[in-house]
Formats: sequence, C-alpha cells, structure tokens
Amino acid sequence: TAAAPRPWRLFGAMCLLRLPRITQPLQKEEEEMAALMEQIELEKSHYSDHEIRKLQEEEQLRRRKESAYDDEDEAPSKMVIMAQDLEEKWEQKLLSFKAAPRITDADKNNNRTSLNRKLDSNLMLLVKQKIGNQELWLLPQVEWQPGETLRGTAERAMATFLGDHIQAKVLGNAPYGIYKYKFPRAIRTEDNVGAKVFFFKAFLQSSDLSQAELKEDYLWVTKDELGDYLKSEYLKKVNRFLLD
Amino acid sequence: CLFSFLSSWLPQMVPSRGSHWQSSLLTLRASLPMRAQPKKKKKVDPRREQAQKDRMKKKIKKLEKAAPEMIPIEDFVTPPKYLDSSRVRSLPPLSFEETERRVLLMKKWCLFKQKQDKAEKQAIQTLIAAQQEALKELRLESEELYQAAIRRDEGLFPFEREGPSYTPPLPGYDPPEGKCVDITKVYTQ
Repeated sequence: TAAAPRPWRLFGAMCLLRLPRITQPLQKEEEEMAALMEQIELEKSHYSDHEIRKLQEEEQLRRRKESAYDDEDEAPSKMVIMAQDLEEKWEQKLLSFKAAPRITDADKNNNRTSLNRKLDSNLMLLVKQKIGNQELWLLPQVEWQPGETLRGTAERAMATFLGDHIQAKVLGNAPYGIYKYKFPRAIRTEDNVGAKVFFFKAFLQSSDLSQAELKEDYLWVTKDELGDYLKSEYLKKVNRFLLD
Repeated sequence: CLFSFLSSWLPQMVPSRGSHWQSSLLTLRASLPMRAQPKKKKKVDPRREQAQKDRMKKKIKKLEKAAPEMIPIEDFVTPPKYLDSSRVRSLPPLSFEETERRVLLMKKWCLFKQKQDKAEKQAIQTLIAAQQEALKELRLESEELYQAAIRRDEGLFPFEREGPSYTPPLPGYDPPEGKCVDITKVYTQ
C-alpha cells in the first residue's frame, strides 16, 4: 500500500535484565515482625518429642545428683546419648559450614562490568553508542529494517552487542516503552524529523557470558545507578517500565 | 477263612455275605442305580455356577452404588499423642508492656504493608500506561508492526524460574549423600 513514508525513524532497543540471585535484606519493620511471629508461635506451641526427651533427661540428671551417686550401676557402663549432646553436635556442624558471601568481590571493587555484583537486585545492560556525533550510554539499540518485527530488531540489537549465544527470554511481542526525540534542526529534513526508540524487556537465563562482549564499553547497572549514565529525558521514559 | 468261621460260629441270625464290596444286603439294590446319577449333575452345576456368579455381581453392584469414602485429610486431624496435657508448655504470663508493644507493632506493620501494596499497584499502573503509550505510537507508525506486536507470544508461558536463595551458590560444593524415603500414605477411593 502506497502510504506516505513517515518522517520518524524506528529503532528497537533491548533492556536485558539479570534477575536477583539472593534475597533482599529485610527492613526494620519486617525484622521486628518476624521476631514477634516467632515468639507467638513458640508460645502457642506444645512440646515436641525432642524437647520432652530433653526435659526428662534433665530431671534424671538432677535426681541422680541429689541422690548423691547412690545408683552407680547406671551411669558409667551405659553410653547414653543425651538430647543436649545431640543439639551441641548439630550446632557444631552448622558452624563448620561456610556459605558463599552475599557481598562479592565485585561489590567491594565496584567493578561495574561484572555480573557478580549486587546479587540481590536487577542488573541492566548499558552500552556506549554513537548517535549523530555524540557518544552516549544507552540501552543497546539498532535501527529497524523493513521485513522484521520490532521484537526481531531488539533481538538483533542484543545479538550485535553480546553475540549469538546468549539465552534470554524476551517477555512478549509488545514494546514496554517508547522514547521519541526530534533531531537537531541542522539535520532535520522533511522526511527525517526524528526517531522513535521502542524498548523491549528480556530476562537473562544463563549467567555465563564468556563468549560475549564484542564491544568494550558495556556496563551492568541497577535501576538506581542508571541516573549516573543516562540523560534525563531518556531516563524518565526508561524508569517508567522498570520495576525494582 | 475268618468270615466262614464267623458264619459257622454265630447262630443263623446274621445273613452271610458274598463279598466285602456289599456294605449290607439291603443296599444291594440301591448301589447299582446310584452310578447313573452323574448324568443329572451336569445340568445342575452350570446352573448353580451361573447363580453364584449372579449373586457376586449383585454384591459388586451394591458396593459400587454406595457413595465413595472420603479421603481423610491428614493435616486436619490432630494425632492423639499431641492432645496429651503433659505437652503443654509452661511459660510466664505476658506483662502489660509486652502486650502493648505487640499491639503497637502490629499497627505499624499494617501501615507498612498498606504502603507497600499501594506502591506495587502504582508501579503496575505506570507499567501498563507506558506500554499503552508505546503501542499507540507504534500504531501511528505502521499498522502491520502493531498487529505483529499485539499478537500473543506462545513461547512465553509456562514460565519457570528458580527463586532467589539467602546466599549465592557455592562453587564446587559437594552436598552430602542421603536417601529420601517417601512415607506418604496414598488413599484410593
């Protein structure tokens, strides 16, 4: 159909999210409430088998001490495992296990190119691209070519910057946000007023990106750190479709 | 020779037997026709077996018609050993300050959760608004791209993902060996 060519150029951009791997720390009210719930649960509960056994053994020990070692035929010959000993053994086992630290090395160095930092929040990919005559930090974008859908454009953008072998799940065919801007008057013509950038969202499935990174200037940042890199208008539009 | 001796010894009251196959002289006539009976049994047996099968089928139908038994939900039934009063915990009663503190904390929690919920709903609304705006602009651009965008994505659901844990996975961790024996009771109706 011979429609007049629209003066807007179309771009597809991909917002690639690395989902959090550890839980966020509890806030003060949440911690207080958790403690209260535990207390109430303890008060409403009955004794368990282990606790009854512990109480009985404590009774026995007390009686044996009071009776001043009258019945010696019981204690030394039998090796009875007391509930208290079991508890201590379990405690020791727990202490001997060392879990991986929640704050990683990359956190401490503030190495923003690594995927291992800020494990409790979403990380987004930002790349440095040349728009017009400026080098800007943007979500990876690529111009739309006729014959492909916008989702295809966004996937192509991801592949251009990270290579073909990334496993990412794109969330649906529809764009999540749009950034519209007009070119500066010097470049503006009748047919080329400005550009519309459509944003798509994807979740990163694999955490291994060893084969990736064609360009050197990339960053993985959280939503709060976006303000350090993106321009204000762009940032406003991007923040609208990002949940934290 | 013993028989002949007996017959000669006893007075003539016991009739003499010809052979020991004859149990008594009176049954002599009855023993021969009895061997002709099996021919009648062949007709009665299939009928008897048929009657037995019918009775069994009727019993089975009655059992099936009865309503199926409810499967007991094990979570709702307290095992009797926990109803024992010796298990009741003995704790000191709560002080007035403690109850006050608890009530105030619950009220703060209520407010906290309400704010959190409101913020979440607001965020979802902005998300939807942003998407609608993007789709509107796309429609202005080209109808066919718009139609491609609003098409359902079949590969998206079922969407599975493992949730976050408290600590990140330890590289090279070897979990201890163990065997899990499943002792859940399975009921059939």
